[in-house]
Amino acid sequence: MREEYGVVGKRVRRTDSLAKVTGRALYTADLKLPRMLHAKVLRSPHAHANILRIDTSKALRLPGVHAVVTASDGFGVKWGVFKYTQDHPMLAPDKVRYIGEDVAGVAAVDEETALEALDLIEVEYDPLPAVFTPEEAMNEGAPLIHHAFPNNINIHVHIEVGDVDKAFGEAYLVREDTFQAAGEAYSTLEPYAVVASYSNGYLDLWMPNAGPHVRAKALANLLNMPLNRVRVRRICVGGHFGSRSEVSPGDFVASLLSIRTGRPVRLALTREENATCTRQVHDMKATIRTGVRRDGTVIAKELKVVYDGGAYSSTGPIATSIPYYVYEETYRFPNVRYDGYRVFTNKGIRGMYGCHGRAFLAGNEMQLDLLARELGIDPVEIRLKNGLKVGEETATKSLIISGGLEEPLTKATSVAQWKDKWSRLPKGKGIGVGCVAIMCGFPMGFRSGSTCSVKINDDGQVTLVTGVVDTGMGNESMVVQIASEVLGIPMEDINLVNADTEVTNLDPGAYSQAATFVGGNAVKRACEDAKNQILTLAATKLKHPVEDLDLKDRMVISKTDPKKTMPMRWVVREAFFQGKPISGNGAYMPKIDLQREWVKRPYGQMAGTFSFGCSVAEVSVDMETGSIALPHFCSAHDCGNPINPMAVEGQIEGAVQQAGVAVLMEETRWAGGHLLNPNLLEYKMPLACDMPEIQTVIVRSNDPEGPFGAKEGGLTTRMNAYSAVVCAANNALGVPLNELPLTPDRVMKAMDIAKTGGES
Amino acid sequence: MERIKVALQVNGESSVLEVRPYETLLETLRDRMDLTGAKEGCGMGACGSCTVLLDGIPTRSCIVLTAELDGAEVVTIEGLSDGTKLHTLQQSFMEKGAVQCGFCTPGMIMTAKGLLDRSLTPTREEIVRSVSSNLCRCTGYKKIVEAVEAAAVGAEEEA
Repeated sequence: MREEYGVVGKRVRRTDSLAKVTGRALYTADLKLPRMLHAKVLRSPHAHANILRIDTSKALRLPGVHAVVTASDGFGVKWGVFKYTQDHPMLAPDKVRYIGEDVAGVAAVDEETALEALDLIEVEYDPLPAVFTPEEAMNEGAPLIHHAFPNNINIHVHIEVGDVDKAFGEAYLVREDTFQAAGEAYSTLEPYAVVASYSNGYLDLWMPNAGPHVRAKALANLLNMPLNRVRVRRICVGGHFGSRSEVSPGDFVASLLSIRTGRPVRLALTREENATCTRQVHDMKATIRTGVRRDGTVIAKELKVVYDGGAYSSTGPIATSIPYYVYEETYRFPNVRYDGYRVFTNKGIRGMYGCHGRAFLAGNEMQLDLLARELGIDPVEIRLKNGLKVGEETATKSLIISGGLEEPLTKATSVAQWKDKWSRLPKGKGIGVGCVAIMCGFPMGFRSGSTCSVKINDDGQVTLVTGVVDTGMGNESMVVQIASEVLGIPMEDINLVNADTEVTNLDPGAYSQAATFVGGNAVKRACEDAKNQILTLAATKLKHPVEDLDLKDRMVISKTDPKKTMPMRWVVREAFFQGKPISGNGAYMPKIDLQREWVKRPYGQMAGTFSFGCSVAEVSVDMETGSIALPHFCSAHDCGNPINPMAVEGQIEGAVQQAGVAVLMEETRWAGGHLLNPNLLEYKMPLACDMPEIQTVIVRSNDPEGPFGAKEGGLTTRMNAYSAVVCAANNALGVPLNELPLTPDRVMKAMDIAKTGGES
Repeated sequence: MERIKVALQVNGESSVLEVRPYETLLETLRDRMDLTGAKEGCGMGACGSCTVLLDGIPTRSCIVLTAELDGAEVVTIEGLSDGTKLHTLQQSFMEKGAVQCGFCTPGMIMTAKGLLDRSLTPTREEIVRSVSSNLCRCTGYKKIVEAVEAAAVGAEEEA
């Protein structure tokens, strides 16, 4: 039976929405500070070149220019998430590795002057041969992008569980397929921007970021400053989806310029710069071999994936591993071998999209359908048979504590009327199912946990202080809702101070699906601490047992005696009199194996819990043109317990757009090192008229660890919607679709191959 | 540099500006008037984040030159509410959960305002067609369409 809460589980209006509908919400590029200068960045025109000389003297002489910075103004520190991936200098000192790489920054009285100054900076390059695909890059004798990495292999993750070769020998049926997927653009509506303001030894920063504490740490290292002097401030963020997780070169450039001039500096990237010079999604190619028993049980998997890593390591080993992990979190693999290679190319810097690896999942899921077809098994049955259940462990030893695949799979297929449609649709129409499970938080050392403090003011109003950041999904409103529930006060009584590294303590960020499960838990604990203090004091004043007291409607109440009440603010004032102000603290560290290491020790508990989800897509293919329509989509997501069901639905619906519809149209296109579609006219993304009818199903597994049973709010759809559409298209056409996205040309090609070469 | 004199009414207030010939309306609003509700998402009229009403018509302010707007009336998201009460669209966007990151929201609401000014009772198809001029990356548009539908009903009841 479900527990009833006062505000948790209600469709509440988000706390941030009033500012956003009135135009008063401020985003970084909206900031205007006194004496603020404007910055522009000189970027590399070469995909690969040595820098022989940089002369900034003419630019510095231009009236209105206040500073020009190059790598020599920095501290020679390179950024990377791990010690072994620290390779990104943020301003190129002696070599450029992609078109658009940051070479010099200018601060001037206005953007026009800064742009004019860029033309006056002289850079002498010695162009080098470049490589643009992992295949080229891994060839013997290919030019090396970083000298320490032979064959340009940045990261190799090898995971091996069980006896894979023996299991393949015992398999009834084995199938091998190769899939490749183009990278995509995050296309957050807000282009990247930074405002840096240095004064008296302190640096204040505003930028769209998905983890203020992680960002501040990276910048403190790059700028050789102590953490308490690098203050990343809270600001509205216009979308994230993985693109704002890591430090950006612009943060470093704007900071250096502000330090140099002692004035605030604003750097706002254009849409084209945002596409070419902030992070992009990895292209990938996967060879997938699967062995099954006659009954559809998967007994052997061998996976080789090559990721186009662009010019620098970025999140290197994490990006190389996550696609595999979300897959092993879904299904039972007694014998599996995974080899992930992240390869350097002379293309822009890369990051993780959504959770990362949905094209890899789509390949696996479509192959599962192909196997099921050969075995004469329904795709839903084969997934039910192999899906993980509560109490089981993943291949690399992560325990599943709630959910499991069965419920979302059963619910989504029931709502979508799978049984009435599967194998009963005419040619050209298809239905497909995609499944996934996702970690809520993952190992980030001591940064895996979150902390919160709560202060009750003498009028009973509350100030909540947490590092949790909101990049658009509603995290701010979510933590206020949790605090409101615990403290028995309306949400409007709570003032949230968040994502400001001067006052908030460590939090993993809106990254790795940790905000609700980890951050929300810390908030709940801090509020419970404050509540205990209030009730303990109230018990002495009311001469009533503390166990019988509770907080409701701004009052201390007795659960049994309606006469025993006292306004909460009276208790708060009494606490001040006694010299013990009410001040709650809470922290939450998920139960994960912190000895786990992405390359050296890829075993142990990955996350505190996992969310499960299933999407069902229906497609209709125009056999003449290869164009695919998506009339109907259903997605079930196990979020544990929705704090705000309306927000969870919103996440699922957005994910249908960003994965389910995106798989029909979105891709970054390249000519060598030139991105051909860096703007929003050339890069096609779904509009309202492209959207299917969407049904969302919220599954409540009531996680034993999550705050009020909650896990994360919708990422499974962001991963499995892609698979569902690919599987539906495969069902409609009866041919494997090995190249993604499913643009008409690729669909026609797949049909032609099937016609001429026979189905593989 | 040459400046061009333009008389402009923005959110009911008249002002005379001396603008650069190539200054866009979006720059005028954001940089001169501190009206930062309209956003620059693409700078080429593709995304609709900068949409304002220009003489009542939803217009992408990033590709309109202020110098050409002498005598024009502009309404931005900041001018939509009368100062005491929110517009029904603003209310319904909040109630229906149509706002996530919020970057597209001002432009989306102004586009919807243009639709509701033309038609008090738009069909769902008309709403979808209308908001298809603006990009949103977060919501999947479903709650946006629902919010406009709800606002249309609310506006009709008030009318």
